[in-house]
Amino acid sequence: MAAPQLDVRDPLEPVALIEGAAGHTDKTINDSLLAHVWRGAGKGWWACFAVALSLLGMLVISISWTLYKGIGTWGNNIPVGWAFGIINFVWWIGIGHAGTLISAILLLFQQKWRTSINRFAEAMTLFAVICALLFPLIHTGRPWFAAYWLLPYPSTNGIWPQFKSPLTWDVFAVSTYFTISLLFWFLGLVPDLAALRDSSQSKMKRTIYGMLAMGFRGSGRHWAEYKWSYVLLAGLSTPLVLSVHTIVSFDFATSVIPGWHTTIFPPYFVAGAVFSGFAMVMTWMIPARRFLGLKHVVTMKHLENMNKIMLVTGMFVSYGYLMEHFIAWYSGDPYEFAQFFYTRMRGPMKGIYWTMIFCNVIVPQIFWSKRWRTSIPVMWFASILINVGMWCERYNIVITSLHRDFIPSKWENYMPTWVDISLFAGTIGLFSTLFLLFLKFIPAVAVTEVKELRHELAHDPTADPVGETH
Amino acid sequence: MSCDDNHEARTKDRAKRRSLPIAGQTSSPKYWRSVEERDRTSPVPGAANEFAGGTFDVAQYGQEDGNGGNSVSRRGFMQVASLSTAMAAVGACTKPAHKIVPFVRRPEEVTPGNPLHFATAYGLDGYASGLLVESHEGRPTKIEGNPAHPQTLGATTSFEQSLTLSVYDDDRAKQIRSGTRPLAWRTFLAETAARTSQLGQNGGAGLRFLISPTTSPFLGDLRKRILDRFPSAKFVSYSSVADDGATDGTKLAFGKPLIARHKVASANVIVSLDADFLGEGNEQTRLSREFAARREPSRQMNRLYVVEPAMTITGAMADHRLRMPGGDVGAFLASLVSMMASRGIAALAPLASLTHGQRHWDPKWLVAVATDLERNRGNSLVIVGRRQPAAVHALAAALNVALGNLGNTVEYATPLTSDPTAGVAPLGTLVQEIAGGGVDTLVITASNPVYGAPVDFKLAKLLERVPNSIYFGLYEDETAAACKTMIPAAHPLESWGDLRATDGTVSIVQPLIAPLWGGIQEADVLAAFVGEGDVGAHALLKKFWKTQGKAPGDFDGTWERWLADGIVPGTAAPAEAGLTVDGQALAQAVAPALGAARQGMEIAFASDPKMYDGRFANSVWLQELPHPITKLTWDNAAMVSEATAKALNLEDGDVVEISYRDRRIDAPILRVPGHADDVVTLPLGYGRTGGEKVAAGIGFNAGELRFSDAPWFDRGVRLEKTERQIKFSITQDHWTMAPDGRETPPPVVSATIAEVLNPHSKFHTEVEDRRPDPEHPQPVIHKPVDYSGQPYKWAMAVDLNKCTGCSACVVACQSENNITTVGKENVRKGREMQWIRIDRYYTGSFEDPEVVTQPLACVHCETAPCEYVCPVNATVHSDEGLNEMVYNRCIGTRYCSNNCPYKVRRFNFLNYINDYSAARELGMNPDVTVRTRGIMEKCTYCVQRIERKRISTRIEGRMIQDGELLTACQQGCPTGAIVFGSLNDSNSKVSQLHADPRRYDLLYEIGTRPRTVYLARVRNPNPELGQPEKAGGHE
Amino acid sequence: MSDQGHEHHSDFVPRRFLLAEFSTPAGLLAGTTKMREGGYKNLDMHSPFPIHGTEEALGLKRPKIPLIVLCGAIAGACIAYSLIYFCNVFDWPLNIGNRPPHGPPANIPITFELAVLLGGGSAFMGFFALAKLPQPYHPIFESDDFARASVDAFFLSVELEPGTDIDRALADIRAAGALSGEIVEESER
Repeated sequence: MAAPQLDVRDPLEPVALIEGAAGHTDKTINDSLLAHVWRGAGKGWWACFAVALSLLGMLVISISWTLYKGIGTWGNNIPVGWAFGIINFVWWIGIGHAGTLISAILLLFQQKWRTSINRFAEAMTLFAVICALLFPLIHTGRPWFAAYWLLPYPSTNGIWPQFKSPLTWDVFAVSTYFTISLLFWFLGLVPDLAALRDSSQSKMKRTIYGMLAMGFRGSGRHWAEYKWSYVLLAGLSTPLVLSVHTIVSFDFATSVIPGWHTTIFPPYFVAGAVFSGFAMVMTWMIPARRFLGLKHVVTMKHLENMNKIMLVTGMFVSYGYLMEHFIAWYSGDPYEFAQFFYTRMRGPMKGIYWTMIFCNVIVPQIFWSKRWRTSIPVMWFASILINVGMWCERYNIVITSLHRDFIPSKWENYMPTWVDISLFAGTIGLFSTLFLLFLKFIPAVAVTEVKELRHELAHDPTADPVGETH
Repeated sequence: MSCDDNHEARTKDRAKRRSLPIAGQTSSPKYWRSVEERDRTSPVPGAANEFAGGTFDVAQYGQEDGNGGNSVSRRGFMQVASLSTAMAAVGACTKPAHKIVPFVRRPEEVTPGNPLHFATAYGLDGYASGLLVESHEGRPTKIEGNPAHPQTLGATTSFEQSLTLSVYDDDRAKQIRSGTRPLAWRTFLAETAARTSQLGQNGGAGLRFLISPTTSPFLGDLRKRILDRFPSAKFVSYSSVADDGATDGTKLAFGKPLIARHKVASANVIVSLDADFLGEGNEQTRLSREFAARREPSRQMNRLYVVEPAMTITGAMADHRLRMPGGDVGAFLASLVSMMASRGIAALAPLASLTHGQRHWDPKWLVAVATDLERNRGNSLVIVGRRQPAAVHALAAALNVALGNLGNTVEYATPLTSDPTAGVAPLGTLVQEIAGGGVDTLVITASNPVYGAPVDFKLAKLLERVPNSIYFGLYEDETAAACKTMIPAAHPLESWGDLRATDGTVSIVQPLIAPLWGGIQEADVLAAFVGEGDVGAHALLKKFWKTQGKAPGDFDGTWERWLADGIVPGTAAPAEAGLTVDGQALAQAVAPALGAARQGMEIAFASDPKMYDGRFANSVWLQELPHPITKLTWDNAAMVSEATAKALNLEDGDVVEISYRDRRIDAPILRVPGHADDVVTLPLGYGRTGGEKVAAGIGFNAGELRFSDAPWFDRGVRLEKTERQIKFSITQDHWTMAPDGRETPPPVVSATIAEVLNPHSKFHTEVEDRRPDPEHPQPVIHKPVDYSGQPYKWAMAVDLNKCTGCSACVVACQSENNITTVGKENVRKGREMQWIRIDRYYTGSFEDPEVVTQPLACVHCETAPCEYVCPVNATVHSDEGLNEMVYNRCIGTRYCSNNCPYKVRRFNFLNYINDYSAARELGMNPDVTVRTRGIMEKCTYCVQRIERKRISTRIEGRMIQDGELLTACQQGCPTGAIVFGSLNDSNSKVSQLHADPRRYDLLYEIGTRPRTVYLARVRNPNPELGQPEKAGGHE
Repeated sequence: MSDQGHEHHSDFVPRRFLLAEFSTPAGLLAGTTKMREGGYKNLDMHSPFPIHGTEEALGLKRPKIPLIVLCGAIAGACIAYSLIYFCNVFDWPLNIGNRPPHGPPANIPITFELAVLLGGGSAFMGFFALAKLPQPYHPIFESDDFARASVDAFFLSVELEPGTDIDRALADIRAAGALSGEIVEESER
């Protein structure tokens, strides 16, 4: 793109949201953002895809083995009834949340910088939730029943689901979350699909994207309703995303186990979710913007803003840790105290605990410095560390709390099996596979919204918009 | 028709009727009542030969005795056979399938679905434990103690509980063979007949029998008849864990071999010298009951001193425990005796000089014991364990006599076993004879002597020299491998016979089921040598008792009563009267034996609470049963003290090379709190190399180091650390009550009798803080559900003061509730399934800890945390307050287990029942669902028993009376520590215990309102010895 | 018309559209307003992204979506709560760890989730229903130029009643500031 003569800027922000906007027309934006869809898959893509697929293979194998033999193939035991399965569930759900947050909440707050990353984030949400959804099902002892006994239908047992159980809440929360995210994502995608349809070269692509676009023709009458339903979906997703992780946290908060039985979980889980979610966006976005040539729309400003959010949410999380320990001491509950000050800090799993503290409390602090906040390698490594840290947090909550609870005689250690590990690796494979396909076939940036944004930015209330000189 | 014929006919009817289940009404514990009821029922004519001769070809192995002798078991067997699941098992039997007649005609006692109880007996070392066996349609499914029996008093040991598993064991020997050549029983009889006629030439000089010690009058008679026929033949009894020390000791003391009968009930002070009288021996069940009765916290509470090398459950119950090498115990006793003598007990004067100077033990201890014994003359008791040599037993006898305990707390009687001793001595002579080549035919009915005998006898090699060695055993074990001919034995639940309890009372042993694998009965084998091998054990047995004159008049009627009651009245043997000890003689006799102990580390062997001497090694229940003290499963370990381990720089699981004399074995180390220093204890019964699949490769064989001159302990063993490490499957690590220094409320409460009796002691405030207080109820959000309107409000109370941790309840529960086993790997992962977990806690120092055991199953919380988290209503509350598991609704989220503060829920992580043999399925309790993979399970308060009892009482139009409904654990418990009943009945035992001042609720503070409560442990320490310090503890 | 079988050729009256491109969104808005005031009915705008002022230019009424969503959400909440009540209180109440069968706080999560689900669902379905999508064919697609409507072009389309003077319409639309104008006719299938 040509070096920008007149740099279009967000009135509030010093850094460009679209670099060299002046050099751009709707056409160039359209082509540049769709380019990676039309471009054939490169070596790099195939390499990544191969890796992702092989991980996916591990997932298939380990799931089949689990279904064939039973949960005994995992490391779980009594007292550690929940382990990797639930950790991964919570972790993936958490990651999903950032996506919804970026696209929905920032939309409601009219944060213009959202537009370049929301499609990306929403996709991430979807795929993360798909990974998460696997676990509640396969972690049960009899998935073939769990699949439908959780739903209220008049069964031959004559027994209804037990609606006081947080697990029942989970079923509704997570499935709702997945559905709404899917609808929201697809609705935002329709105009771009139309654009794809209209700028596709081959007949086949035209037909496929045509079908997906459902005959959308940018009609003003449609746009009028479209904007409303999009905004309303966003409006609904916002409380939804908060509720979902709140409910996930209820799985623990409503129990009696020291380390689970605490009222701070809902906000602390949500903050943690956003924290890990943004980290995950970073981890993927940084390579993506480079290899997909999206640098002009995903600018340093976006990355920096996300780092700021990570700094803030990271401090929420740290506050959560602080409170857990404070309450454990202040409440005078000896079991609670023992859980935090003996089991977690000095117990057999203290390594996990201190890793968590390092990654989630110490690491984000580097984002105070503008220099590091804007250094690509630093933020990328930081984001990975934060993902690790958040996984350790879930390990602490789920396994460390369970492995030593009230009665010392039934304390056991926990050791994951190859199935546990390949299930975790496998979901990463599933996520990557879906993500790579997404990057190949669907515009990674909401083209329509970027065009709109360009016009909004270029719009001068009095005169004709700038950069319209044909 | 002559009156003879009439008699004949009547006998037939009787025979037929006797052949039917005799012990009576399904769920009524008053089994004996049924006899009268039965006598009212009129015989069905002609039913006698309903299944006459060879219904299946029993004649083929000659057990048909013409008048339905086997038909109890045969009917049972046909019922079994009619089940399709049995076909595999049947296939293994020698009978052609097409000859099996399905169970079409229902005998009047059998109501399908209602179990019957049969009285029988089982002898671990020859002495009887009276049992009641629950039988479902001819399949024995559960063992209970026979309340009428003087030894068991209605309780059981875990060994007896495991019989219903071993009877269906698919690994059992199934084929009579000579070498590899399969034999029919008839062929065997023919060959034996031929051989015996030969042997007869020289009076059977080359004929030897190596048998287990037995009290059976019937077998005794057979033996007599054999000896009559072969005057030069010999019988030798052998058990690798025999009590010969005791009999030899009494011989020293009283001049004739006697056995001690203890009466703990009347003892105020008990000094147990290396005697695990609560955990092993012929009297253990009764002694446990009597001991517990005297633990009621009152002025009458007894006091127990224990001197032992390794922690046993008796040691765990001790008020004062002194750990010392087994070899020093004699010296300790000698010092005690001489101290008593010096206190002017005349009878002991000649023994005053026996003391061997100052030993390493605390003199205060000795003084305290002496004073206590003196104070309680006549009501004290000194018990010596089977491991101690004769001298120690003799001294103890002298002491008991001197203290005037004779007749009150202990009495001595003639041994009832056919041979007074069954130890290494008699076996030694037999070995000599074999070595000398003088033995032509050796019949071994002893349990696996090749495995159990001292290594220096080299029995396996010697047996090669015996031209005709016949082994009669349950399994193709080590001995079977060493013998020419193998005869598969019928299981105790498949055999006819009789046994005597230590007090002499006779019980008739009746079979519950036909030999599943065509096993032969011991009587038939012996009878073969008097040419009656084809008569049948039952006929022989009955014929024998007919001649005993115990049943004047209608013998058959009396016989039926004996079978129904499980005991033969008036057979108790009197104790020896007027026993005196010649002090002088005794002093000379024992002095050398008490010589100063040699230096070096002591090697000590111990019979295992799970494997005993190895004969239970193929029982998955017992293999997976956590060791009462170490909580070790699927393994044995070389047990040492912390100090010894430190000195040798050993950790748990380190494999050491144990070298003793010229032999070496490798064994893993396990540190045990309270173990004596410089002693390594090696449990017997592991490292089996026989054909048993379960036992194969489990643990190490301590017998490899056992020599005839040192069967129990000796000095001079060396431990060398190797590179290897093994990981134990231990269900509970060395947790004390406050592990890692955390200050959580202790799970168990223990106090001294003084504290309990003083209403203002801090003990009372401690327990009061841990149980509901009507004045100040716990704050609640939801109004507690009111159960007072219900007919019953089920609850349980466990008296920690009575629980010895013997683990009989665990196996009883496993047997009653079809609880699966998971195997070594899964136990290591923490997936054991026993519903009852006996938690063992230490307080005090690692060297001299106090031990408290706490049986913990589901406590049925009223505000159960497990219930509200289940998404599918798979665990809910019943109207009567049971916390119920709905197996078929469970999807296995394991959330309930996570949220269970007691962690008493068990999960089927894998489909453990996959590898059940068809035969094992026969042993399942049909009243209880068998759980498959992915299902949560837990204690149900034996809901199936509740419902059975509810039905039967409803039919009788009445309420369930307190005490007539027992849970499996409660029924199995020898000490009566577990009490179950309804809280709505304010007079019920459980209500009273819930109101007991010692009652406390486990985890009361989290407000679960458990229905199972605990009564604090009480100790009765000697004030002169002061309190054992209560430090934080270890690990 | 299929009822007239073989004859339906002759009866087919193709819909006709006047399609005109404008250079800018602003121009499009202005032109649309002009045309509407010029008495043209069935106007529609086509743009690659929503343009502010569309409603006014086309003279549309208030969008119906918000009301639909509200109804959906309320329905969801009611269904959820009554379902829970029916299952755990009315049809089969159980003693679940001493908790009362009807515990309102425990019902909040699912009630909320179902409200969101049905609300969101109706927002999505509502849009496609109102927009009459999916609609694979629309006469407007006949124009080759129209492909740019989703890329960078701004179109105004006017559906002409039969017998409208086409030349006049073209003239009007040029006067309204269109860069170009063409007549698109529905093809017969």
